Amino acid sequence: MAAIQVKAEVAGSVWQILAKVGQKVEAGDTLMIIESMKMEIPVISEDGGTVDRIMVDEKAAISEGQVLAVLTR
Amino acid sequence: MSDPTKQHGWEAEVEELRQRRRAAQALGGPDAVARHHERGRLTIRERVAGLVDAGSFQEVGTLTGQGKYDGATLTGVTPAPYVMGLANIDGRPVAVGGEDFTIRGGSSWSGDRKKGGQGGFIEDLAASYRIPLVNLVDGAGGSVTSINKRGHSIFPGVHGFERSVELLGKVPVVSAVLGTAAGGPAGRAILSHWSVMVDGTSQVFAAGPPVVERSLGQKITKEDLGGPEIAVDHAGTIDNRAESEEACFAQVRRFLSYMPSNVWEAPPAVSASDPVDRCDDELIRIVPKDRRKPYNMRKLVGHLVDRDSLFEIQPTYGKALITCLARMNGKVVGIVANNPMVYGGAMDVKAARKQIHFVEMCDCFHIPLVFLVDVPGFMVGRDAEAAATLREGMRAVYVGLQATVPVYTVVIRKCYGMAGMGTTEKNGLEFKLAWPSAEWGSLPIEGGVAAAFRREIAAAPDAKLREREIEEELRAMASPFRTAEAFGVEEIVDPRETRPYLCRFIDAAQARIRTTLGPKAKYGVRP
Repeated sequence: MAAIQVKAEVAGSVWQILAKVGQKVEAGDTLMIIESMKMEIPVISEDGGTVDRIMVDEKAAISEGQVLAVLTR
Repeated sequence: MSDPTKQHGWEAEVEELRQRRRAAQALGGPDAVARHHERGRLTIRERVAGLVDAGSFQEVGTLTGQGKYDGATLTGVTPAPYVMGLANIDGRPVAVGGEDFTIRGGSSWSGDRKKGGQGGFIEDLAASYRIPLVNLVDGAGGSVTSINKRGHSIFPGVHGFERSVELLGKVPVVSAVLGTAAGGPAGRAILSHWSVMVDGTSQVFAAGPPVVERSLGQKITKEDLGGPEIAVDHAGTIDNRAESEEACFAQVRRFLSYMPSNVWEAPPAVSASDPVDRCDDELIRIVPKDRRKPYNMRKLVGHLVDRDSLFEIQPTYGKALITCLARMNGKVVGIVANNPMVYGGAMDVKAARKQIHFVEMCDCFHIPLVFLVDVPGFMVGRDAEAAATLREGMRAVYVGLQATVPVYTVVIRKCYGMAGMGTTEKNGLEFKLAWPSAEWGSLPIEGGVAAAFRREIAAAPDAKLREREIEEELRAMASPFRTAEAFGVEEIVDPRETRPYLCRFIDAAQARIRTTLGPKAKYGVRP
């Protein structure tokens, strides 16, 4: 099983986590929403898979490139 | 076979010519070629054949190399590790050349260097004939073994980049990095208008792992040091990535299809099959009414330009900005669009660098620019300041203001501050269109109210309520229609009308483009 890291494209804070551990997601699904520069930036999964781990909590400050979630396929 | 004693012409000499040509065709020999193929790479001759129009390659300098003799008889030739010549791409002449890695890893010395790789005949050909240059880069640069051969070390720049620099103002220069490029070849690759490298088989760096380990004690692989993830996505040293060498050649041909052969010619127009009056309905819904919600700017761009005409430059670097070559009614345009999905489209240091190079390139080749604006300003925060966003951002503004090609500004949503200032033409019409969703100012209202009305807000019985009230009052006055009343923007368009409106003016601008061709004067000092 391949692990896929979902990384933050922007620095900001975690506003809302939509995906749940164990959930199946498809490419294009929104996993969570980051608040950055007063905008709600969706974190979109580039691949399909199962959510294995969520690496951040809501309201947490995050930096660019940080791993937010891990999917398995 | 004819009896040699009965020959009256130059048959013997022509036979020697054939022998020498066979040696050139054999490159570094079957073993070296097999090793090169095992690494997943094509030979320089396969590369040229894969890139150019079939049968169009006319080689120059086929015989250059080191002959081996038994007395006066030729026994073999080690060809110069650089193959070059004249070829066609889509029927237009180009100068093309590249290192042959199968001979000394592509390291040239002595007369070999006169062919190309760093100046040389191929660059002189591009300059003299005013045709594009394609560098197929696969070499590790200088070798200290040349000290042995010469008996002295050479001063850097004796075989310099002066011609390479001159070309950047005259003809399109493309570099494809197809192997490990270090030192001179890596530097040569950068001196281009556009560059591309191949996933898995190419790396680019100033110096490779052995030098890094010796200098810094860092153990690092070639891929971690200069693979596409670092060189393209992270650093923007090289512009685009390709999945294979074949895909890379397709990208090179695509890039050149938007370019004139030189700065004295207009960009190549084609007859468009996509109707000018195509008004896609989705455009009226694409920008969310909720100002905090971003949208897909790439999709928006796709609705405006001719179908299948988009070629994105640096798609994986500086993602707060999208830069594309495209066509509108068959005419080449450069699209500069802020990407609200990344930092709300704010200009960070990478986006600024990307915009600078793209705007300069389009200006150089007389390609009109279309800015699709949704920029809240320069990126803020400690990291942004530490990265010199302000300075790089002002460079982007400076370069934008120096451009003399026609510029069309279409404000999609936000247009604020100095970053917003860099999206308009200041030497011509200063033509600005806006969508009804547009808003502008020196800074966004919600950020500015708390500071500007601090005392009034503090004195109010309900401070939060007063702040919101002031925001609403100001926002009502900030309607783009009020600015249009004052001719502060030249037109507000139904988003669906954007394509026909722009096409009309871009068509009309062709006369200005045709009558202002030639090299662009450079003056001033970039901040």
